[in-house]
Amino acid sequence: MIEARGVSKRYGEVVAASEVSFTVGRGEVVGLLGPNGAGKTTVLRMLAGVLTPTAGEVRIAGHGTEGEAFELKRALGFLTGDTALYQRLTPREVLRYFGRLHEIPEAALGARVEALVARFRLSEFADRPCGKLSAGQKQRANIARAFVHDPPALILDEPTTALDVVTGRFLLEAFREARAAGKAILFSTHVLGDAEALCDRVILLHRGRVLDQGTVAEICARAGARTLTDAFLARVGDEVAA
Amino acid sequence: MRPRIVFHIFRKDLVETLRDRRTVVMAFVVPALVYPLLFTLLGSVATDKRGELERTRARVAAWGPVPESTLRAVEQQARADVVDRREQPPAEPEAEARRLVTSKKVHLVLLTPAGAPGASIPIRVLADSTNVDSDAMERRVSRALADHDAELLRQRMTALGQDAAAARPLDVREEDLADAARRGASFAAALLPYLLLVLVATSGFYAALDLTAGEKERGTLQTLLTAPVRSVEIVAGKYLAVLALTLAATVCNLGSIALALARGTAAMDAGARFSLGLSSAAAIFLTVLPAALLIVALLMAIGVLARSYREGQSYLMPLLLLVMLAGFASFLPGAELTVGTALVPLLNVTLLVHDILVGKAGPTQVMIVWAVSLAWAVLGILLAARVFQTEQVLLSGEKPWRDIFSPGRRSGRGLTPGNALAFAAVLLVLTFYGSALFERRSGVAGLILGSQLGFFLLPSLLWCRLFRAPLAETLQLRWPTPRGWAATVLLAAGGWSVGAVVWEQLLRFPGARAYSDWLGELLGKQGQLGLGAALLLVAFLPAVAEEVAFRGVVLAGLRRSGSRWIAVVGSALVFGLFHINPYHVLAASVIGLLLGWVALESGSIAPGMLIHLVNNGAQVLLDRMPGLARPLHSPVVAALALATTALGAWLVRGSRRQTPEPAEVAPVPASVPRT
Repeated sequence: MIEARGVSKRYGEVVAASEVSFTVGRGEVVGLLGPNGAGKTTVLRMLAGVLTPTAGEVRIAGHGTEGEAFELKRALGFLTGDTALYQRLTPREVLRYFGRLHEIPEAALGARVEALVARFRLSEFADRPCGKLSAGQKQRANIARAFVHDPPALILDEPTTALDVVTGRFLLEAFREARAAGKAILFSTHVLGDAEALCDRVILLHRGRVLDQGTVAEICARAGARTLTDAFLARVGDEVAA
Repeated sequence: MRPRIVFHIFRKDLVETLRDRRTVVMAFVVPALVYPLLFTLLGSVATDKRGELERTRARVAAWGPVPESTLRAVEQQARADVVDRREQPPAEPEAEARRLVTSKKVHLVLLTPAGAPGASIPIRVLADSTNVDSDAMERRVSRALADHDAELLRQRMTALGQDAAAARPLDVREEDLADAARRGASFAAALLPYLLLVLVATSGFYAALDLTAGEKERGTLQTLLTAPVRSVEIVAGKYLAVLALTLAATVCNLGSIALALARGTAAMDAGARFSLGLSSAAAIFLTVLPAALLIVALLMAIGVLARSYREGQSYLMPLLLLVMLAGFASFLPGAELTVGTALVPLLNVTLLVHDILVGKAGPTQVMIVWAVSLAWAVLGILLAARVFQTEQVLLSGEKPWRDIFSPGRRSGRGLTPGNALAFAAVLLVLTFYGSALFERRSGVAGLILGSQLGFFLLPSLLWCRLFRAPLAETLQLRWPTPRGWAATVLLAAGGWSVGAVVWEQLLRFPGARAYSDWLGELLGKQGQLGLGAALLLVAFLPAVAEEVAFRGVVLAGLRRSGSRWIAVVGSALVFGLFHINPYHVLAASVIGLLLGWVALESGSIAPGMLIHLVNNGAQVLLDRMPGLARPLHSPVVAALALATTALGAWLVRGSRRQTPEPAEVAPVPASVPRT
């Protein structure tokens, strides 16, 4: 459902991503892990069709960026730390707006928005300007925005960062439901505990390259570590030492 | 581009902008308060000062043997008091006079040097022109002295037994032809253009910044990029939102400025009166409209380059200064709307608004300024669209301007609606500037030759090469079918006389006859050429070069919109716009509709060329043989020509060769995928 085939991105001399390849299948949650500056956001932006790869190819639900960017974006719900909400619109207005941009028929849009308001528990603040919401409320509204067109694939960049435990747990539960509904989820996080709890597989990214990928158990075994955190530190530490 | 998506973006951006207090205050509230307040304050100060000067008696110093009778006359006629009387002037009278005026002890000094001859007594009036009070009193006292001088002369002439009138061979009296309304309009014409341009720029400034750099800074632009929308739809929606806000603010504040000016004018210049009529207000709005299109496009294109609101303010400040500089031209006494200044964007709008207010502007001037401004506006909009398509710009990358014009960005093959419009704008600018140059140096023959080859044919071929558009396909360089040829012959035979009849009817409207005479004079100049040369220059060259440009490049680009109507109407309007005068624009647009439609239906550029050739050739022949025009006035001939044209138009439908057309627009699925 989500595919990266030898994807690279260069800015002059700087290599932000180098020959990154992986896939995320239907009903699968894959974690993209890496330290700051590893190239996670660049890879995610290329998958979302926001950035054009210098080399390689990305595909979402079979659609590439070349000539199919529309179909690719229609098949994807995308959320990163850089995709903010309009401060002077309410969550309900934001959902309606993105629903219209996705060309959801007006007759169905109202029901779709109300369903998302209920599912992500937005009703308490759905008519309050986004600029006046707490970080957790904003994130819930933003994730609802990524779900508005009911996409088969989701890319979520650090969706639980800076959230309180209750909101974080609520969102993880929502992602599990989405997985159960057959959606493919690529999930980037700094919270390795979340990755262990949620991800079917993880990809370790460092300096724009894939260091390792597999199930948590496989990665721990290859790194000779007991936990994902130890495995992560061992692999990234090795790279830093190298 | 999907109009519905553009509308959703436009509506969201407008709502969001109107909820931003800073933008609303700066666009609507501040101008609505500041202008009336400013003019009321200035007017009140000016009125108070004038009243104060009226009421105040002039304080005069009189040094040396100034005659007492003269001083009495000054005291009475100039309502003055001699407060400092010295028989002997000081050693340095100018320095002493300056000291007294500066310390406000006196307004001026009357000085007569000792030992002056008795018959004509010299009187120097020492006053400070930079001091408002001293300057005003000097005028009052000098007028009294002149009257007293005339009275003395009359007395002397009478004493000598002469007619007093003999000493005044000329009885000069100044009378101002400008009535109160003209004086008021002249005052307003100096201020209003400047205020309007600044108003447009400042109204759009905050909205453009908020929707470009502001959105980048807040991260919402990237959110929008994750939705299935094209960059051109984003820029169009945002552009329309800023433009709507700017125009709304301009209309609202035009009223408040007009009211403020009406008050200010009367206060600044007693006896002057200013009121902005509805027709003048509409003309001014229409003149400012293309300037607003350009300014908003530049605000958007530059604003989006910035990574933050603050950075955007620094980027946009030079543009604001440029706009102010262009508006400042209305204050310059020598600045006039000429062919040269009409070609300078923004400056031309300033001068045209000035001319509209003082009642000097004609329809041709309006059209030139409109066409030039519109051409620049299209270029500005295309620049904005280009900037919005640059990844590095939208994602706040380093040195984004490198990517904007990098050749690597040109992809695909053939023309698009956007670059067809860009081509038209470039051609328009090129034609206006180049024509002025050719006309001055080479006369009418050089002008036609230079413009047809240099501004239409050559740029068309270069444009096709630049955008890798295959010539044969773009220009439809193919032979028409026999049916197409038959239709062409009928259209060529009937079309020109229908055109001539329509033109005759247009001449009934005001101003059309004068334009027709001017055109006749221009065409008359080609009478100095031989018939062959005239047909080559006026008929053959335009038929080839203009068809290549308008039914070739422009039509081909607009066809990629997917709508034949947009292609035909758009290319006709562009073709019409090049004819400047409103009547000629109308006539040429109608002909452009026919030529565009014929080009699409016949699938060839040749029929248009032939119809164009016959139409222009007939004009040359009619100009040289006026007798030929007589039968055209016969209703039978007119009806026959109309019938022939209609038959040709019917015959040309679907006459193109049935060859498979390349796909012009990639289809966009309307449904949303569901899982």
